[in-house]
Amino acid sequence: MSSNSQPQHKPRTPSLLLQANGPSQNDPPPTGAPTKSQKQMTKAERREVQERQRAAKAAKVTASGPQSGGPLAKPQHPSSSTSSQPKKTGRGSESPVQSRASTAAGSSGLPNKSTKESKAAAATAEEDAAVRSRGLRIFSHFALQKPTGHIAKGNVHPAIVRLGLMFAEFKICGANARCIATLSVFKRVIQDYTTPPNNTLSRHLMTHLSVQISHLVSARPMSVTMGNAIRQLKMEISGSDIDLPEQDAKDALCGKIDNYIRDRIIIADQVIQETAMRKIHDGDVVLTYARSSVVQKVLLEAWAGGTRFSVIVVDSRPMLEGKRLLSALVSAAIPCTYLLLPALGSVISEVSIVLIGAHSIHSNGAVFSRAGTALVAMMAKQHAIPVVVCCETYKFSEGVRLDSFTKNELAPSGDSFSCFPRNRSPASLIIQNQLNLEILNPLYDLTPPCSITAVVTEAGVIPPDSISSIPLALGRSV
Amino acid sequence: MATDPQAAAGQRTVEALAAKLRRRQVVGSRESALETALVLRQVVSKARFQNINQLVEIIRSVGRKLIEAQPKEHTVGNTVRRLLHHVREEYDNASKGEATTSANEFSIANFVLQGQPRRQVAEKEAESTLVLKEDDSDDPDSFSRTLKPVVMEAIQDILDDLETVYDNIAKSARDHIHSDEIILTVGRSKTVETYLKSAAHYHKFTIIVAESGPSYGGHDMARSLSSAGISTFLVPDSSIYALMSRVSKVILGAHAILTNGGMFAITGTLLAATAARAHSTPIMVCAGQFKLTPLWNLYHEYGALDFADPSGVLGFEEGDLVDKVDVVNPYYDFVRPDLVDVYVTNEYASGIIPPPSMYRLIKESYDDEDNEL
Repeated sequence: MSSNSQPQHKPRTPSLLLQANGPSQNDPPPTGAPTKSQKQMTKAERREVQERQRAAKAAKVTASGPQSGGPLAKPQHPSSSTSSQPKKTGRGSESPVQSRASTAAGSSGLPNKSTKESKAAAATAEEDAAVRSRGLRIFSHFALQKPTGHIAKGNVHPAIVRLGLMFAEFKICGANARCIATLSVFKRVIQDYTTPPNNTLSRHLMTHLSVQISHLVSARPMSVTMGNAIRQLKMEISGSDIDLPEQDAKDALCGKIDNYIRDRIIIADQVIQETAMRKIHDGDVVLTYARSSVVQKVLLEAWAGGTRFSVIVVDSRPMLEGKRLLSALVSAAIPCTYLLLPALGSVISEVSIVLIGAHSIHSNGAVFSRAGTALVAMMAKQHAIPVVVCCETYKFSEGVRLDSFTKNELAPSGDSFSCFPRNRSPASLIIQNQLNLEILNPLYDLTPPCSITAVVTEAGVIPPDSISSIPLALGRSV
Repeated sequence: MATDPQAAAGQRTVEALAAKLRRRQVVGSRESALETALVLRQVVSKARFQNINQLVEIIRSVGRKLIEAQPKEHTVGNTVRRLLHHVREEYDNASKGEATTSANEFSIANFVLQGQPRRQVAEKEAESTLVLKEDDSDDPDSFSRTLKPVVMEAIQDILDDLETVYDNIAKSARDHIHSDEIILTVGRSKTVETYLKSAAHYHKFTIIVAESGPSYGGHDMARSLSSAGISTFLVPDSSIYALMSRVSKVILGAHAILTNGGMFAITGTLLAATAARAHSTPIMVCAGQFKLTPLWNLYHEYGALDFADPSGVLGFEEGDLVDKVDVVNPYYDFVRPDLVDVYVTNEYASGIIPPPSMYRLIKESYDDEDNEL
């Protein structure tokens, strides 16, 4: 409950959601629990959506803040302690909710429809928004991510709802993890699916899955890996034999999914491990950024194989994932150095090889990966240090990306990701959007092919220029 | 002299500052410069000297002590050097106008010899002084009595300079920043902050502040800029590259500027500068003249070989990791001269200079003989 009384966070912080997903996330979902949480959620959600819309409006509002803050100041005060909104229903609970949103949006003038003066405020707000939005406009597409939208439209499987929540809260993140999780849940969805009368599985299952997929996408934009896997799955579904008994068809599909996970991810990783560990020699200093599951395996495998090297783990906000890699490496007794990205310039000259993972890889050879990777690759390239990307071929994306700007995702700016050091007071660090101030935490950036030396895939070590030949090499099965 | 109780009091203030510098209670280039100037004022006001050499030696010994305490706060040495420069100038002026014969016009041809003629002049002047009586056995205080007010004034000038440095740098802001620019800066620099705020009076532009971990000074910067009405975006250091393609100018602060045109600046600066270079984005560095350091061979693989508290990077909350991992948290990056496009200093006309000309400004600011204190 206390998690709810944090009006200082951005509205996209899933404060209401925390309650809704509480049971579904902690328990291994028994049959009753998820549906209940889903019901509970729809209420919470509806409010959340409203709140978000208002917050979005409010975020555009400028100077009218202090003036219109006056009439709103009263409800704001108790609102910080109103943490039980989901129990209340109807219009009664509206005003505290709104004012909550207004505090969250930096107490700028909030278009509260029930009061007249705020209508006027909204009018001025729109004018001001026009003045102010210049700075926002070029970043506006970043906000497309739907932070906590979980309206379970249609027939969404409870396991998907649960997965969606885990995606939205970054409980599961990383291209591989998300893909494996999605496919495993789809197996359950397929097993629980029954073809309605007068329909064939090969046609109807597709529409059923589309609902699940769009729910997942609403939780967090789909990763390239998921996209590739789902495309493959759809192909398998449409190709499944109509005459097959339903259970056999479902089992066959689940078998296909298992094969996909095994061939394209698990075995692929093993091949990559064997290839990449040969690039690490005794006495090397390996630098890696953030955490990639493949790179972690490569390092552990190489160490287990008797190569003696040391690792520099570079890390940065907003995710600070490197700490997890660090603890895995340390427990294997690999000598490690840990530093934050800004300190990279100090150590880069002693590095012998840079190993990084990827979110996706594009046909022009650019690697889309955790934000900061491009900086690491750039610095390494400048110092003539080989930059090796470890990447399974199923991460290949046909599309070309030219910069990290046009399509990106934002990490939530709630305090679950701030992970700030404790030598400063949290109050001085936790900072939220306010007038003229916006916090952007892009999740990914694009490493141009010119700063990559080679990409290690299960199909071999490929220079970035030749990435476009991957689908050919695999017989266009991507 | 050393037995003099007043001089001893002066020494105590020096020791106090040296201790503070050593313990990192005084950090930051401006604060160090300010403290040094204050200590110098105290020392000089109490010092007794009979000729210029004694005075120079007193000031130098203060400088040596402070620099030894904290060799990385370059502004300490710079302040001392600047004072020595002023002292000699005043002395030369007072001891006769002949020093001016060494010609004030600067040309490349005679530039290399700058500072050389003056020493000869100074030695000759020692005898022919009318106003200043050096080594006067009848009245040992006469020299210091005459010169001291002048020196105190010089120190006051240095202090005033430090007070107004931000505003003076910011004077050129209007010409360098245009409407609708997107400007990236790293961490917190008071100089850059004042610069941007001053430009905001004339133009509307957007600022992206990289937070610069683990000190996260960018948070304060973002807060301050946004409260001044500038549209501000706070981003983690990791997204510098991602956003650089939309940035029209990078404005950075400096910790110390070296003779070769390179600089020390807060960690993360090198990343931003390199990323800007990769995108051909112009890089401006705003810094007061007190940061000009007549040294050049200081850089090292390990940034500035100066490390901050590792707990900011990996705190004790990661208990099981702390003793098994090397944590690196340097204060500064060394930024090569080729990464900087222009330095903006507090001299309006001649203070905006490209890195290759930095040596000239430094040569004008200090005397060659003080490079090693």
